[in-house]
Amino acid sequence: MKEGRTHKRFQKFGMVIDLDKCTGCGSCMVACMAENNVPFRKDESNKLLSITWMRVYKLTNGMPFPETDVCYLPRPCMQCAGQHEGHSPCVSVCPAIATDYSMESGIVSQIYTRCFGCRYCMASCPYHARYFNWWDPIWPDGMEKYLSPNVSPRMRGVVEKCSFCFHRYQRAKDRAYMEGRRELQEDEYQTACTQACPAGAITFGDLNNPKHAVSEMVEPDPKHSGRPKNPNAFRLLERLGTNPKVYYLSSREWVRRAGDNYLKNEKKVKKPVHHG
Amino acid sequence: MDSALIPRGVKRCPLWQFLLFIGAAGIVLLWGVYAMFLCWFKGLNQTNMNDYYGFALWIWADLAVIAVGGGAFFTGLLRYIFGKDALKNIINYAVLIGFICYSSALLILAIDIGQPLRGWFIFWHANVHSMLTEVAFCLSCYFGVLTIEYIPLILENRQIDKVPFFHHLGHNMHEVMAVFAATGAFLSFFHQGSLGGVAGVLFGRPFAFREGIFIWPWTFFLFTWSAAACGPCFTILVTKITEKVVGKKLVKDNAIELLAKISGWMLLTYTIAKFIDTWYWVTVLAPSQGFTLMDFYSNNPLYGIWILITEIAICGLVPAAILITPKGRKNPVALWIAISLAVVGVCLNRWVMVLQIMAVPVMTFDNWVMYLPSWQEVATTILPGAYGVILIAISYRYLPVFPNEAELNPMEPLPAEEAEEKSVEPSVDLEPELTPAEA
Amino acid sequence: MKIGRRGFLSFVIGGAAGTALSPLPWKLMDDSSIWTQMWPWTPVPEDGEASYVNSVCTLCPGHCGITVRKIDNRAVKIEGMKGHPVNNGGICLLGLSGLQLLYGPMRVKTPLKRTGKRGQGQWEKISWNDAVSEVVEKLRDIRSEGHPQTVGFISGFDRGTVSRLFERFLTAYGSPNFMRMPSVRDSYELAQYLMQGVQALPGFDFENSDFVLSFGSGLIDGWGSPVRMSRVHSAWQSAGVKVIQIEPRLSNTAAKSDKWIPINPGTEGALAMGLAHVIVKESLYDADFIENNVEGFFDWKNLVIDKYSPDTVASITGIDSRTIVVLARGFANASKPLAVCGRGNGTTPVNIDECMAVHALNALVGNIHKKGGVWAVSEPDYINWPEIEMDAKAAAGMQHERLDGAGSKTYPFTRYLLPRLPETIDPGEKNPLQALFVSGANPLYTHPDTQAVRNAFDKIPLVVSFSSYMDETAQNADLILPNHIYLERYEEVPTPAGMIEPVIGLSRPVVEPQFNTRHVGDVILQMAKGLGGSVAKTFPWDSYDSCLKETLGDLWNYLIDKGFWSNTGAMPPFFGTSYETASGKFELINKDNGSIPQFKPVSIEGDEKDYPLLLIPYDSMRLACGFIGDPPFVMKTVEDSILKGKDVFVELNPKTARNQGLREGQRVVLTTPKGKAEVKVHLFEGIMPGLVALPRGLGHTGWDEYLAGKGINFNTLIGPVEDPDSGLDAAWGIRAKLEKA
Repeated sequence: MKEGRTHKRFQKFGMVIDLDKCTGCGSCMVACMAENNVPFRKDESNKLLSITWMRVYKLTNGMPFPETDVCYLPRPCMQCAGQHEGHSPCVSVCPAIATDYSMESGIVSQIYTRCFGCRYCMASCPYHARYFNWWDPIWPDGMEKYLSPNVSPRMRGVVEKCSFCFHRYQRAKDRAYMEGRRELQEDEYQTACTQACPAGAITFGDLNNPKHAVSEMVEPDPKHSGRPKNPNAFRLLERLGTNPKVYYLSSREWVRRAGDNYLKNEKKVKKPVHHG
Repeated sequence: MDSALIPRGVKRCPLWQFLLFIGAAGIVLLWGVYAMFLCWFKGLNQTNMNDYYGFALWIWADLAVIAVGGGAFFTGLLRYIFGKDALKNIINYAVLIGFICYSSALLILAIDIGQPLRGWFIFWHANVHSMLTEVAFCLSCYFGVLTIEYIPLILENRQIDKVPFFHHLGHNMHEVMAVFAATGAFLSFFHQGSLGGVAGVLFGRPFAFREGIFIWPWTFFLFTWSAAACGPCFTILVTKITEKVVGKKLVKDNAIELLAKISGWMLLTYTIAKFIDTWYWVTVLAPSQGFTLMDFYSNNPLYGIWILITEIAICGLVPAAILITPKGRKNPVALWIAISLAVVGVCLNRWVMVLQIMAVPVMTFDNWVMYLPSWQEVATTILPGAYGVILIAISYRYLPVFPNEAELNPMEPLPAEEAEEKSVEPSVDLEPELTPAEA
Repeated sequence: MKIGRRGFLSFVIGGAAGTALSPLPWKLMDDSSIWTQMWPWTPVPEDGEASYVNSVCTLCPGHCGITVRKIDNRAVKIEGMKGHPVNNGGICLLGLSGLQLLYGPMRVKTPLKRTGKRGQGQWEKISWNDAVSEVVEKLRDIRSEGHPQTVGFISGFDRGTVSRLFERFLTAYGSPNFMRMPSVRDSYELAQYLMQGVQALPGFDFENSDFVLSFGSGLIDGWGSPVRMSRVHSAWQSAGVKVIQIEPRLSNTAAKSDKWIPINPGTEGALAMGLAHVIVKESLYDADFIENNVEGFFDWKNLVIDKYSPDTVASITGIDSRTIVVLARGFANASKPLAVCGRGNGTTPVNIDECMAVHALNALVGNIHKKGGVWAVSEPDYINWPEIEMDAKAAAGMQHERLDGAGSKTYPFTRYLLPRLPETIDPGEKNPLQALFVSGANPLYTHPDTQAVRNAFDKIPLVVSFSSYMDETAQNADLILPNHIYLERYEEVPTPAGMIEPVIGLSRPVVEPQFNTRHVGDVILQMAKGLGGSVAKTFPWDSYDSCLKETLGDLWNYLIDKGFWSNTGAMPPFFGTSYETASGKFELINKDNGSIPQFKPVSIEGDEKDYPLLLIPYDSMRLACGFIGDPPFVMKTVEDSILKGKDVFVELNPKTARNQGLREGQRVVLTTPKGKAEVKVHLFEGIMPGLVALPRGLGHTGWDEYLAGKGINFNTLIGPVEDPDSGLDAAWGIRAKLEKA
């Protein structure tokens, strides 16, 4: 760390989602829709066409009655850092730099007015966190009144995705600057889903800041190739080398195992593959 | 009526027949154009693509026409750089087919993107790390090269040639064609490769992801290689179809055989490389990410292991074996089979590298996703076919595409105006219209 | 001038080259892309001054505190209120969607009068004055004919000033027919009345219990105050509280519990008795508590020992006797165990025996009115209005028995029995109900046997809906007098369902009323004034707002300032006063009416031969099934294994499907003795073989195009089954069959 030379410490905003606490109620999904002016259509039952920046997946353990078990897994954008900071699957492929990795916050942005809709980023994202505006967004007469001015509604033909409510970060930073502060308190910048979750299952903060709860919850274990010390912690598809900033906690083994692909007789997670 | 425009020494069908044919293909073209405008004005909701299937039929068609259009650069490379003179009799046609393929590819891309009016952002705001940027640049440049290569042929039209300026221009362009061929080959190497790279760099998609050297994954080289191998097969295939349709021989056998032989060896080496790549992927790369081969090929109604076998064995080894043996490539039936299989093989490869990538689930709790194109997608995909048929028909009628044609088909003393004309890409519904009026 | 070929070509080529080199194409290219970046048909939300308003959400009985973010005069986001005792910042998905209800197309924008036949959707707009005078005239006629008791009022809620105004109006007018929508609260209130002698709200101190035994309550599927329950659930996870869920289907609550014990549906009461057997037999009960605070223990003990051995119960419930014994020991040995009953999200009652049996378990372990136990919560007593003025007509009317039979000789202790209403109305020649008002309720959707309810409604000459939304009941009304929605009006909101600490919140206008609507409280006052006489005198207030202000007194300013009032350190009711039974104790056997906790199976409709399967409903947070329907955002969260296009899926165990020859996704006809519907099959291992489960909350005909016409309303397939002891609807399911469509 170059702490001595510069005051600027890079932030790495991340999320820890406790799947033991998550009840699958769907509040995070709606909080996100309401916060981010996400459009809706008459029929949203085709999930392949339904824009849900935050999507709650229902996982089952595949066991027969009565050994069956169900777990819900909220999936925002993972804000992947890739194997070297910034080499997210999507950022590396966007031909027009319409999506970018912020070194300051670790957040993967999406610039709707830059995007020309090639959808390459969607093909690159194994989490299906990216959504295309197949239709013009239309609000029933009068309903456009609730649209927030902090997030611009997207036009047809572009890709959108979870931004970790980046506008809230900007808002919080503006406020802090006005008050002459350079650093944000943990609770000043929280995503809409984190704030809404009735179960308090989502924790959000700067993974690089030891004062923030998230950094403690998934504190890396240097002896174990940097995996969190917490044995219940895992990330989705870690083996692909996407290096997500969203962590999950589960006390159930089958849930943790559902987070990644394993060969039949594979017990331990091997080191994730590296890409040059 | 249009006899003044028809090249000397060759026979063409009556004008009404020609117009009827153009009209028939034109209807298909218009259907495609209508669908294209629907997509532009109403948006991509006209397709059956979705958030899982963000790449679909069009991108496959794009990759496929570019792959089979690879005949142009590879034939040009052989003709102008390696000095395979026998190929001069097929090079015009190879260029024409290439021109059609690449212009189609650009058109498809213009329809495929969600914001066509912002398409130029790919140049203006280019991300040099993106394979797609590389594709866009090389594709556009190479299309320019193909246009330059096609222009001299246009200038050879009987009437245009009469203008001294155009005559000299055409002559001079021929002189420097080697430079363009070299440029084209260079550009092609990159964009064919980067199209392969488009899939290969997707490290979030274990089905597509490959390691490689520097920034290029193995698929980069495999794509170039397969385009070089199968592109000429497509050139031969279209030539053969054209010959069948017009009912005369247009290209000498030595040119065809030479091209077939080279293709055969390319295909063989490609297949071996592809096999090694697949082997490594199956035994090392995919398992390191927790996948076994059959994870990619089961639990779905379409993408079975048959695809891999068809691609590598039936459409790789079989045609390669036929083409590298003199007996095989000299046998007309065997040659037909071989070039058809090779073309099917490369198209299948592109299909897999677009659609199957989208279909395979990566998260353990995701499902296989199947997709069926909408009619708008089908129409816009057929659109380039109809356009190709028309451009070939017009070029064939008015331009000396086949230098050997007159020699191979000596004219009766009577300067009869009827000639046969026809062309084609494998467009089945057009066949009835093409029944030769007879020479 | 003659243009030669060469000249022409030069002109064309030169022109093309010239244009390309000019700025024109580049400028056009740039302009067109800028145009795509601000298409006029893609809205650009206006910016303005941001502000926040605290209020209370009343979309369900959960009553969470909300903070609404505003930009100028637009409400742009609803968030959970930090520091609120119910939800402390959290908020459910329905609450988050409130602005879609505020600005949405489902709103009734002005008073409407029916012009076509009922339910045809033909309306004319009328003025408020005309609308109210029309109602007043009709009421005056009914009253002058001497039948004031033929006016009824259905309300979704019976606490707080607004509901009290309704009741007060009816009483002054002369009708006893104020009816509250049914819920598990009916069962609990009755059980508490019979066993503890109190009329109070059931409160559950989940936060402090360490072993929770739920007899099918969907504790995190919308039960009680949903956000509070989510918070409780998280606290359980952190503290390692044991949670046992007993129900035939793996609900979310079951999946998140420590142990899910599938049970034959409808036999939960038997299991409670079996557990009591083990506890009594092994003397695991709280001897102290039993001795000092329980009456009738020994008689009941004999009954329990006699009839509910683990083996007997095992054969009834399908749970093996070993599990029963282990469960009973676990429950009794915990330091603060809590048992709770009521299926799903608690919007349907359970039969009184089952409720008493479960409540008796709490008494056995001495967990009544204790930390971590079940409390009888009394309402904060702030409504002190002057005596109702009753003229002779009113007094005469009030002498009549209630139409639903509640409080009658048959059902003396039950307060409301709305499900019995259709059967009362149906047979009569002259309808015993001449006018019906509906507020905060949607009985034409939420009542079992929807068709029968609709037939009954058809016979009522005047149906007036106060709904803010075009729900099913509003659709079939004669007049709609739309209320402001909760974001446009003042209303005090009392303690949320299931909470033990008393809370009063204040709903306040976050924005100006968006349409030509009127506060239902004001309409009642206006009606009373219109009727004149003693009725008018009973309502001395100018407006609802002034009534509320006056009623709350000092509390008003407190609520305006803080948003809510709560008694956080609430202590359990003092023992001596909390049992108001004859014995002054918790009565296991009520000597007055002989009620005693036991298991009596509820015989549900249909016979096994024709209907080999059992249909049960299930609830989900993502499907609002009360008087509010899913707004578009919430519909977006409904999984595609529940709804696909317009088709709803029923859940079937793969084994059942195999027996029936059905496969995943297949279209089938689901038939019950009450109706039939086309549905699709979804295979789910988490449901007991032999059962079919259908989600509640779909199959609306009203609301908007985002909700209407999708799926099937469970209530069209089931009818009420009367509990002979209490009159409550005790149906937990209905027999059914599936046939390939």
